[in-house]
Amino acid sequence: MADQGGSQHGIARTSRVRTEEQRRQDVEKIAKYRDLDERVRKELSQKRYTPETFQLTSKLLQLNPEYYTVWNARRRLLIYGLFSKPSAGSSPSTALPSSSLTATTTTSSDASSSSLSTATPPAPDPPRAGKSGTTADEGDGSPEQAEESKKAEQDNDLELIKQELGFTIPLLLASPKCYWIWSYRLWILQQAIQRLPIPIARRIWEEELGLASKMLIKDRRNFHAWGYRRHVVEQLESPELGGTSLVESEFKYTTEMIKVDLSNFSAWHNRSKLIPRLLDERKADDTARETFLNEEFGQIFEAINVGPEDQSLWYYHHFLMLNLVSPVGHPTIAPALTRETRITYVIREIEQIKELLEDYDDVQLIYEALIDYTLFLCQFLERKPDGSERAELVSWLDKVKKLDPMRSGRWADLERDCGLVEERPRMMTMAS
Amino acid sequence: MGENILADTLWDVVICGTDLPQCLLALSLSRSDKKVLHIDPNTYYGGSEAALTLQDADEWAARLSTQESNAVFKAPTISRSKSAPNLSTRAYSLALGPQFIHARSELLSQLVSSRAAQQVDFLAVGSFFISKAASDGQRHSMIRIPSTREDVFTTTALSMKAKRALMKFLKFVLNYEGSENADTWKPHAEAPLAQFVEDHFKMDLELRSYIIALTLSIDGKITTQDGLAVIHRHLTSMGVFGPGFAAVYPKWGGLAEIAQVSCRAGAVGGAVYMLGTDIKDTKTVDSISEVELTSGDKIKTRLIVKGNGGAEDGTDISRLVAVIGSSLKALFTATVEGAPIPAVVVVAFPADTLTAADGTANKSPVYLFAHSSDTGECPSGQSVLYLTTSQSPHSKEVLGLALEKFLGSGDEPETPQALYTLCYDQSGGQLPGRQADDLNMVLPSLPLSLAFDDTVLKPVHDAWKHVMGETAVDAEYMTFPERNGGMDDNDDDAYE
Repeated sequence: MADQGGSQHGIARTSRVRTEEQRRQDVEKIAKYRDLDERVRKELSQKRYTPETFQLTSKLLQLNPEYYTVWNARRRLLIYGLFSKPSAGSSPSTALPSSSLTATTTTSSDASSSSLSTATPPAPDPPRAGKSGTTADEGDGSPEQAEESKKAEQDNDLELIKQELGFTIPLLLASPKCYWIWSYRLWILQQAIQRLPIPIARRIWEEELGLASKMLIKDRRNFHAWGYRRHVVEQLESPELGGTSLVESEFKYTTEMIKVDLSNFSAWHNRSKLIPRLLDERKADDTARETFLNEEFGQIFEAINVGPEDQSLWYYHHFLMLNLVSPVGHPTIAPALTRETRITYVIREIEQIKELLEDYDDVQLIYEALIDYTLFLCQFLERKPDGSERAELVSWLDKVKKLDPMRSGRWADLERDCGLVEERPRMMTMAS
Repeated sequence: MGENILADTLWDVVICGTDLPQCLLALSLSRSDKKVLHIDPNTYYGGSEAALTLQDADEWAARLSTQESNAVFKAPTISRSKSAPNLSTRAYSLALGPQFIHARSELLSQLVSSRAAQQVDFLAVGSFFISKAASDGQRHSMIRIPSTREDVFTTTALSMKAKRALMKFLKFVLNYEGSENADTWKPHAEAPLAQFVEDHFKMDLELRSYIIALTLSIDGKITTQDGLAVIHRHLTSMGVFGPGFAAVYPKWGGLAEIAQVSCRAGAVGGAVYMLGTDIKDTKTVDSISEVELTSGDKIKTRLIVKGNGGAEDGTDISRLVAVIGSSLKALFTATVEGAPIPAVVVVAFPADTLTAADGTANKSPVYLFAHSSDTGECPSGQSVLYLTTSQSPHSKEVLGLALEKFLGSGDEPETPQALYTLCYDQSGGQLPGRQADDLNMVLPSLPLSLAFDDTVLKPVHDAWKHVMGETAVDAEYMTFPERNGGMDDNDDDAYE
């Protein structure tokens, strides 16, 4: 139960404060829940994989989506009861007679849910479970009948999959970071790959990508959603879904998300992860790679220019700088850059950042970057800071010490490591 | 409606006119047990903020031409393009009050808490643009005015240094009430904002024109104090209802729709409505007003509330309303991922950018509000433009020029054409409402600002207090529960 106060990235979490009336209501709810829990456990222990049991799990999971045992039970109910059986012959004793399975939908009055309309509504009609179970047993064996029965099976499974996807949506809206729901959803999506023809499975996964985008609009820094997105993209690119690379569109997506909000660690991070494959697929030669790197530098600097206090931007700039000064053999964006070119670009970046000081004289991250990059440069040139560099480092460190007095120890260490402080022997003096 | 009810009731208030302030008063009283009679000499709701079909507009213009010279609206002219097809009059709803409403506006809070907002479809107001002549001096192009950090990041129209200056200003405005920043601007509170940003933020002419455009200042001379407040409201309204927009616009004619919805709520609450009716005569008898209406009815009331009509002081504007035979689709695009398609877009022509035939340039900015057919103000495939500028001997010519430049600035192969235009002058009342005496109150008319100005809400609240007398509870003002068996769906997505 994730009921704690506070917020994540400004998205409020639900919190609970109870009055006496609410306490009474809660006690009632707990009793109902316990009753439901017992019933479900009883049915399952007796291996009664019936539609009624299935509906009980729906109710229970709506109340407690973290109850992973019941999610597992639901999976079993689907495999042994509702999904079509694997090829002819098997008819488990626990097979279901055909009966209606109305999906238990919950209404969500959350305003954003109406915009989150999933294209996978719960199935209103009974799945033809019984029919597929029996036709598989009919042993005529003619190709038309086999194909017909296969189609009926796939239709059945498709309806179930859509229904289950629809079932998880309101649960996800209420508990967007509950691993069990996401894991179940992924399992259902995996069933789609296994059971459905490729074009249909693909469509379902494409809709899933749409869902991932919508979740990111709701909370654009939800790192679960970014990780999920990467997983969905990976599946869409896989041969199982007849996929081709999505790296260009995913790269463009990070650009769009950055335009919505520059301050998005996950978007910049995702971007950095996509670059190697992007350049490979473009078959970028050395010139193209150099151009690309400079364009990235240009863009991040435009961002820093308007948001110098934003750490996520400096992290990305740092990532690009590492591409310049990394040791040879390390995979980088433009590995073929000559030493002279690298030095030129590092100096260019340092000079540009210095210009920012004209208008932003109290932004700590700017001074920190200048210090870091000057040290990078010196290391790269395999020498210590020269006279004018030392003067600059001292003045920047002075500024940082004033802006961030709480970390004075850290700055003192840095001063020493840069050799900016004269080491004096400690002397005992006699009080006079 | 039996005459007896009118004559036999001792009315708590007779509200005259259905301009927005009067309608909001009716809304505020709609759940009370006060007896409200609401009349309007017009045969339609909305008064100075009404929405007109083309036929309505013809009649309205004809009436104005015969009226006295101190009326609110003056000098109407209508023209129809000869090549235009016959325009179906009822397909149009031209707004006399095309103000949009910022997300942080107090009006919106009141509409929500009074449940009136549920009856209104709110559309997104999109970007603000500056229109300026390209280097050849002839054709105009439009530049989006950046008002968030991300906007400033994306724009290609500013140098790095100019971007830094703009960012510093935006940050300053966001915290302009903080003590340090207040010390900086308060000494210049009454000086022009343009001067303040030039001196304190080193902004050049171009950047200053962006800032003034954001304020929608009619004469371009808005003071530092007022300008900072307006920009602050704009910036803090950004993103409140969704990414990419700061303000909303009611479908079906802007403030006219709010007026309609408010009166409807009043009527459901028991108020009696009489259109085409005015006050003919009043006299005071024993602290009660005895009123004769133009309908012949004689009624008694404790209080009469009127609007302040055509006031002499205040800004005067000229407006041009143009129906365009093109959807201008390229203009109405969402600018960031997840933003809604806007139905309204603002284009500002700064002072000195439009040159009249005699060589004089416009002394005041021109503001063009482009409305797509999503507003319900015209059929799909067309759009409506509302151009506003300070009234002057040149103002109509200046408006025509701005329209021409705007239509010529698009990328469409064929220049869009105006099918119909309505032009008029409007004088604004900035006089505060006043309590003339115990029996009479005057509500101010809306200021002519292009974005809704919340200052009119206090006089409405005061009038409500007067009507409610001792039973007034401030905390309950404009705060109503859902009506049982409500007429419309309880739609939480009122702001879609």
